[in-house]
Amino acid sequence: MQQMSRTLAHTIVALAFMALLTLACLQVPGEWNWSGVWEYRQKFLQGWLVTLGLSLAALVLSVLIGLVVALLLAARNPLVEAVGRIYVELIRGTPLLVQLLLGFYVIANAVGLENRFVVGTLVLAAFSGAYMAEIFRGGLDAIPKTQRDSARAIGLTRWQSFRLVILPQAIRLVLPAVAGQLVSLIKDSSLLSVIAISELTLNAQEVNSFTYSTLESYLPLAVGYLLLTLPLSAASRRLEMAFRYER
Amino acid sequence: MELSYPPFEMTDTGGKPTGVSVRLAEALGEYLGREVVIENIAFDGLIPALRTGTIDCIISSMTATAERARSIAFSEPYLTTGLTLLVGKDSPIKSADDLDQPGIRVAVKIGTTAHKFAARDLKRAQVFVLNRESAAVLEVIQGKVDAFIYDSLSIYRHHRRHPDTTRAFLKPIREETWAIGLRKGDEELRQQINGFLKQFKAEGGFERLGNEFLQEEKAFFAKNGIPFYF
Repeated sequence: MQQMSRTLAHTIVALAFMALLTLACLQVPGEWNWSGVWEYRQKFLQGWLVTLGLSLAALVLSVLIGLVVALLLAARNPLVEAVGRIYVELIRGTPLLVQLLLGFYVIANAVGLENRFVVGTLVLAAFSGAYMAEIFRGGLDAIPKTQRDSARAIGLTRWQSFRLVILPQAIRLVLPAVAGQLVSLIKDSSLLSVIAISELTLNAQEVNSFTYSTLESYLPLAVGYLLLTLPLSAASRRLEMAFRYER
Repeated sequence: MELSYPPFEMTDTGGKPTGVSVRLAEALGEYLGREVVIENIAFDGLIPALRTGTIDCIISSMTATAERARSIAFSEPYLTTGLTLLVGKDSPIKSADDLDQPGIRVAVKIGTTAHKFAARDLKRAQVFVLNRESAAVLEVIQGKVDAFIYDSLSIYRHHRRHPDTTRAFLKPIREETWAIGLRKGDEELRQQINGFLKQFKAEGGFERLGNEFLQEEKAFFAKNGIPFYF
């Protein structure tokens, strides 16, 4: 019952937003011309599929990078900790645009990596991975020390107490932040257009320039990204429910 | 105009707009007795800006094409040039005929006539669309693409700057003319601008601008019979 009324509320508010947006669109001078955009629907679809593929690969990679770097950050050896720390600060402190251009035209060029899809995905995953690492580290740090002590006191080994006591609580804590970061990653993939990867945003811009339309391409573009981000948010909320212990 | 296309649209060291098109716009303002405000807008945003009334005319080295003429009006053309190729040193391309072959990678700048040409006429080659001219040149130098399609003047200049890593094919694969873009239905302004262009040409205005900004190129193009003239 509560679930139903929530769904209803979401629908009403979403419709209200769309109505407002439609009203705003009507205020734009000049007429809207959708035929040009419709003509290029195949291009939108291709771009969307590229964005989907890139995002999925970068998503998995960024979680892996995040886990590894979080372990580095938690290491007792100061040299290992420094590697993790400097990675995180370098990546978080510079714009993704700069990382993409330097990554593709300088670093990948130097090591002979020619495939722009691979380079783009790697840079995107490395970028997101730095944020992910801090999220994971924060989640592990947030579990009170008494939890581990109690686990050890009832006779669990270190690994058992980590796996059975600390980890489930940490996962529950970091899930919303991880989901937010993954949604960011999907949207950040639009920047891959600067190294001529034919993803959704670049294709929308191309359609814009072919049809000399002003804003018509941006609405399908927004919908395209929502189609990727909304399911991700929904999945994360489901996972949160699954990891909840007070229901 | 988009101030990223020297020596036509650019900024001086103090950040002030300058170049052939800026001078042309100033002369036009004088002719019409109207104040000139230069708006720096990305090339693929110029036509939308014109149509929504943000600007009144486009002087941005814009080629008058049939597709563009469907959404905006053009003045009489004021310059003739063509699409040419900047080719990487080690690229297999030997002549313009090798361009549309499987395995050939071609770079274009978004929204340009070269972009349109590549999208429509290159069936077998792989096309990469870039937002910046500088990135496209870099891709040619590094061998990430085989060729960059752009106008003859730019290609000539890029080749001069990177003589060891690039080759320039300056025989146009397509000839084009540049014109001033206007809103459709702005017939009075169009007549005035055509009158201005006629007078500016008769007075030797283009000759002066060409000598000031493009002396070396003009001489080279004239010597080699490459179309580039006002």
